[in-house]
Amino acid sequence: MSNPSSISSSKSPNEARHHSQWALHRAITPKLVGILLLVFIALAWSAKNTELDRAAIETGQAIVALTGATDSKVLDSAGRFLDDAFPFTFESSIEVSRIDNFDRDSLPLFSRIESRETREYDAFTETYLTETKEYLVNPIGYLLKVLAKMWESIEMGFWGTVLSVAISIPLGVLGAKNYTPNKLVYTGARTILGFHRAMPELIIALFFVLMYGFGPIAGIFALAMHTSGVLGKFFSDEIENAPEGPQAALKASGAGSLKVLRFAVFPQVFPAYVAYVQYIFERNIRTATILGMVGAGGIGMELKGRWDLFDYSHVSTILLVIFITVMTLEVVSQRIRGRSL
Amino acid sequence: MLQLKSVTKVYPGNTKAVNDITVSIPNGEFCVLLGPSGAGKSTLMGLINGLVLPTSGSVVLNDEQVDARNQKKIQQRISMIHQQLHLIPRLSMLHNVLSGKLYALPLWRVLAKHFPENDQRRACRLLAEVDLTESQLHRRVSALSGGQQQRVAIARAFMARPEIVLADEPVASLDPTVSRSVLASLRHTSKQNNTTVVCSLHQVDYALEFADRIIAMREGKIVFDGPPQRVSESELTNIYGSSDDHKPAAIKAVPQIEREVALA
Repeated sequence: MSNPSSISSSKSPNEARHHSQWALHRAITPKLVGILLLVFIALAWSAKNTELDRAAIETGQAIVALTGATDSKVLDSAGRFLDDAFPFTFESSIEVSRIDNFDRDSLPLFSRIESRETREYDAFTETYLTETKEYLVNPIGYLLKVLAKMWESIEMGFWGTVLSVAISIPLGVLGAKNYTPNKLVYTGARTILGFHRAMPELIIALFFVLMYGFGPIAGIFALAMHTSGVLGKFFSDEIENAPEGPQAALKASGAGSLKVLRFAVFPQVFPAYVAYVQYIFERNIRTATILGMVGAGGIGMELKGRWDLFDYSHVSTILLVIFITVMTLEVVSQRIRGRSL
Repeated sequence: MLQLKSVTKVYPGNTKAVNDITVSIPNGEFCVLLGPSGAGKSTLMGLINGLVLPTSGSVVLNDEQVDARNQKKIQQRISMIHQQLHLIPRLSMLHNVLSGKLYALPLWRVLAKHFPENDQRRACRLLAEVDLTESQLHRRVSALSGGQQQRVAIARAFMARPEIVLADEPVASLDPTVSRSVLASLRHTSKQNNTTVVCSLHQVDYALEFADRIIAMREGKIVFDGPPQRVSESELTNIYGSSDDHKPAAIKAVPQIEREVALA
């Protein structure tokens, strides 16, 4: 029997060592420990920067406060919102005296007249003045208004998607290596798409509000611009990756590029593109709900207004409508996606 | 008339894929190319439709020489049928056949998929010739069987009224029964349209059954050229070599009686 170590030492280092001497895998190495340490330091520094330490402390306090033992700033603030948020405000009311040509005999649908007492402090006489005013109350007036605003957001999402498709198809073709007329056009198309993609909607919306004023136009353009960058890149990549056999077959029969594109590429790329457009549409509706915060139309404008006025019961109505809409959207699009294209 | 005059093709690395071949094929002939893998069959087909340009010699299609300048125009006069078909899976049978003639149509018609009625009629006639039925006309070709798809590919190849149809192992992926009927369709269609067919095959028995003429290649040279009746055991050995291993299974599988019938 030979000693393995003597075998390996008797040979030159280039020659194969006995398997008992092969270098084994080591899970923990000094290099790994060093890297982990550096990562830990970087994370700790970043967490301090972003106040995650305070978040941890206050969240801990809030959890303890849930048991009633202590007070928590976080819970107090949440409580202030929740106290006012419910019940939801569905009704709208307007002072009768402010309505021109008010006709008491033919009220709008569902509406009623209500008398309300208001007490106002008069600083001159240092007394409370009690006054009874008549209000025209519509029990679902506010809900209807919110729904109308929500519908506006949905429409913004729709038109944003339509414009986005219209922009992304030509740019997508020009940005596909195999169908672009030349390198310059390719670079140009890809650059435009990249720029569109890189600009966040809220920032684009700010500029369009500046240009077109408050309202849905700014929101639609912002959505179209950002998502055309996303859709266009996707379309370009899909065209580049389309199966080459059918294209080669049509080219060999003498068909020009556009014809090949129409016949051998579009039909193949279509299902993936439609699925993507559907996703973008869904996403655009969600985004359209917040674009109003910068004045770009839709339900976000109403939300921002009510939030700034601390009208939390109105805010909760808006949130309820948004929540129901988004859930419905999710269910509907799941159904559609389930069908094979 | 397709003429190859002393055509030689040398690939980089000094591989002579096709070595000094002279052959002429009259219009309307159903011509089968035989030979082991690497014999130069695909290169020969490439030379005919201008995808491969000869190192020396010339290819002449109805008095017009195939060269770099008229490559594109020549390709419009020649159709290919590939082993992998290259149909467009999500388009209907009808549109796949029509796609064989895109070059001749104005762009707007192609973009709008608005085809002239006579083109559509011709596509239907071709589909009927390859034994496909109206019930499948508007179905996606991805829903068809392999044999049916190959028939669609044949119909597409004839759509543009080509002078020559090149078929590169058109039945390689089909089972024997389907292969036979597909080849029968190809032959029938070519006779109906009086179109020359050059078809490479691996199965000698199919070649014997369907060809007007068999051209066999080995190492870039033609080793047999004649009607199927003249193919004998010794000729086959000459083509595929003496070792049985190099012969396709079909040769060994063809029973002696059947071969005698074919040779008779």
